[in-house]
Amino acid sequence: MDFGGTTVVNDLSFDVQRGETFGFLGSNGSGKTTTLRALLGIYKPTAGVLHIDGRPFTPETGPRLGYLPEERGLYKKESVIDVMTYFGRLKGLSRRASAEWSVNYLERVGLGDKARTRVEKLSGGEQQKVQLGVTIMNDPELLILDEPTKGFDPVNRRLLMDIIEEQKTNGATVLMVTHQMEEVERLCDRVILLKDGQAEAYGTIPEVQNQYGGTMIRLVYSGEVPPSPHYEISTLTRNYAELTLADSVDEAKILRDLVTAGVLVRSFTTSKLSLEEIFVQVYGEQTMKAGV
Amino acid sequence: MAQHNLSTVVSFEVARTLGRKRFWLITLFVPVAIAIVIALIVLSNSSAGSSAAAQSDTELSFTYSDASGYIDPAIAGAFGGTAVTDDATAIAAVRTGTTEAHFVFAADPTTTATAVYGADLGLFANSTYGQVATQLLVASSQAKIGDPTLAALAQGNVPVTSTTFVNGEVNPGFGGILPPLIFLVLFFLTFVLLSNQMLTVTLEEKENRVTEMILTTVNPTALIGGKIIALFTVGLVQMFCFALPLLIGYVFFRTALSLPEIDLAGLSVDPWRMVIGALLALGGFALFTGTLVAIGSVMPTAKDAGNLFAGLMILMFVPLYVVSLILSDPHGIVVQIFTYFPYSAPVTAMIRNAVGSLSGGEAAIVIAVLFLLSAVVLRLAVRLFRYGSIQYTSKVSLKTVLSASK
Repeated sequence: MDFGGTTVVNDLSFDVQRGETFGFLGSNGSGKTTTLRALLGIYKPTAGVLHIDGRPFTPETGPRLGYLPEERGLYKKESVIDVMTYFGRLKGLSRRASAEWSVNYLERVGLGDKARTRVEKLSGGEQQKVQLGVTIMNDPELLILDEPTKGFDPVNRRLLMDIIEEQKTNGATVLMVTHQMEEVERLCDRVILLKDGQAEAYGTIPEVQNQYGGTMIRLVYSGEVPPSPHYEISTLTRNYAELTLADSVDEAKILRDLVTAGVLVRSFTTSKLSLEEIFVQVYGEQTMKAGV
Repeated sequence: MAQHNLSTVVSFEVARTLGRKRFWLITLFVPVAIAIVIALIVLSNSSAGSSAAAQSDTELSFTYSDASGYIDPAIAGAFGGTAVTDDATAIAAVRTGTTEAHFVFAADPTTTATAVYGADLGLFANSTYGQVATQLLVASSQAKIGDPTLAALAQGNVPVTSTTFVNGEVNPGFGGILPPLIFLVLFFLTFVLLSNQMLTVTLEEKENRVTEMILTTVNPTALIGGKIIALFTVGLVQMFCFALPLLIGYVFFRTALSLPEIDLAGLSVDPWRMVIGALLALGGFALFTGTLVAIGSVMPTAKDAGNLFAGLMILMFVPLYVVSLILSDPHGIVVQIFTYFPYSAPVTAMIRNAVGSLSGGEAAIVIAVLFLLSAVVLRLAVRLFRYGSIQYTSKVSLKTVLSASK
């Protein structure tokens, strides 16, 4: 995907399995939103295509799609029910079915009495609820969420998570872009990490953790942790340290070395690197340079 | 699905526009104003008719002196006049209100003004004195001639019909020019009513951040096409609202409004010119619409788009400033440039087509240019919308758009 001679996304290919929740991760400017826009036909890619069930995707003939973009909004001067009915019809529902679905949804989220209210008269939180409703109209088979919780208050964030769970239960495939790593670990089956428009890592969360060396030692101790070529001290306080191990280093050897060095080890636990730690490792330098 | 979405876009856009109170306030302002003007004219005419009738019932009584010898005393008497010889006394009588008016006819009324003196009747009614004096002079002169036909001829009341020929055919004159000019009127009317809405047709999606969501359900061509069709529909509703009081006024109050009866028999409709006029209007409409949509898609706000919009409107109207040149020297270099430059071509070519100075070859070239360029501009507008409308806060560059997609 090129813009004015600048390649924004390059040689990127990935699969999303039916029914899974797929995390699309990357720092700001790594090409996530551009990739989504190209996949959905909003941008025409320089090369490449989105296949769904082996067929090229188009907005008119594709599966039922729910898309919550990062930059989101609604027609402001029209009533809630008119806006929702319009989007429902564009998504293939009849006028009647669309209106009925909208009324039921508004009742569910506590906006039953606001159906005839102009969108601009709603509060920010209420508009977010309407936005979510428009996204999941016509029971989407594919739900694409770009920074879904951005700007959402805690109530709507919870509503969104419930809706994602519900859609997953109903068999929907979810592709989400987010910076909330705990959400990714909680919700996603597989992830891709995008860096400079290319795939930096791709696979299930354990696979990605393994790809990045993957092991961390959490140490509660007395004494002084000596430096070592076998680990990097990522966190160090008075009695607690986190050591990121280099590849292929035996954890038992580290424990022996520490004891030999006179460290009184009170607790020694090993775990995989969290996605957040991997994210910082992958993008940290870039993000620092960008001043983000 | 695409067809379904086109009709969905059209019905949504039409319904939301017609559902706005502001739209009806603006739209109904014109017919209401026209209705008020018609009512005022009818009432005023009725009142003026009553006063005229009242005035005819109360005949003007005046004195006059006649140095010319043209005034017939019998006719003057019928007008309510009495001959006197002492102007000073007669004027003094008018001044004191004893008599209503006194006219002084000079020895040669053609070179020396007839002086009228009268009691003040108000700014407009005071002209009555002059009118009566003139009528008295005219009626007396006609009586002296003795033959009503000679009298009419002497006044220059001579009807003339003229027939001219072009390439062996009778030139229909204004009767042939008016029908093709209908397209020029429709062209201007469309843009006066709709140009601003064309410019902002995609701005709402942009300003409200709706573009991305909507482009996953409908392709940009269907969206923009639907919006343009909706604009046209709304424009027709507006035109109907504007035309209705005029139609009612013409049909029911033609006499009261002193409107002339339209004689359609005097019009000469040349099918060839009408077809060319229609194609020129259609091509021009497509070109300007595409350009306005493209401008609206590129610019982040309506205010930014307004500057380019003004330039475009100048290009549209500039041929009207050289209309005398278009009529007198259609093959001159200036008119030729205006004829072939796409943004001045519709108006220039429509005027030339109406007056018969646009050849078939020229018409074919202009129409082809307009439609080809319209297709390019509309395609560009769709592409600009696709990229420009999700550049929410900045102006998208043409270079980026053209290099971004195939």
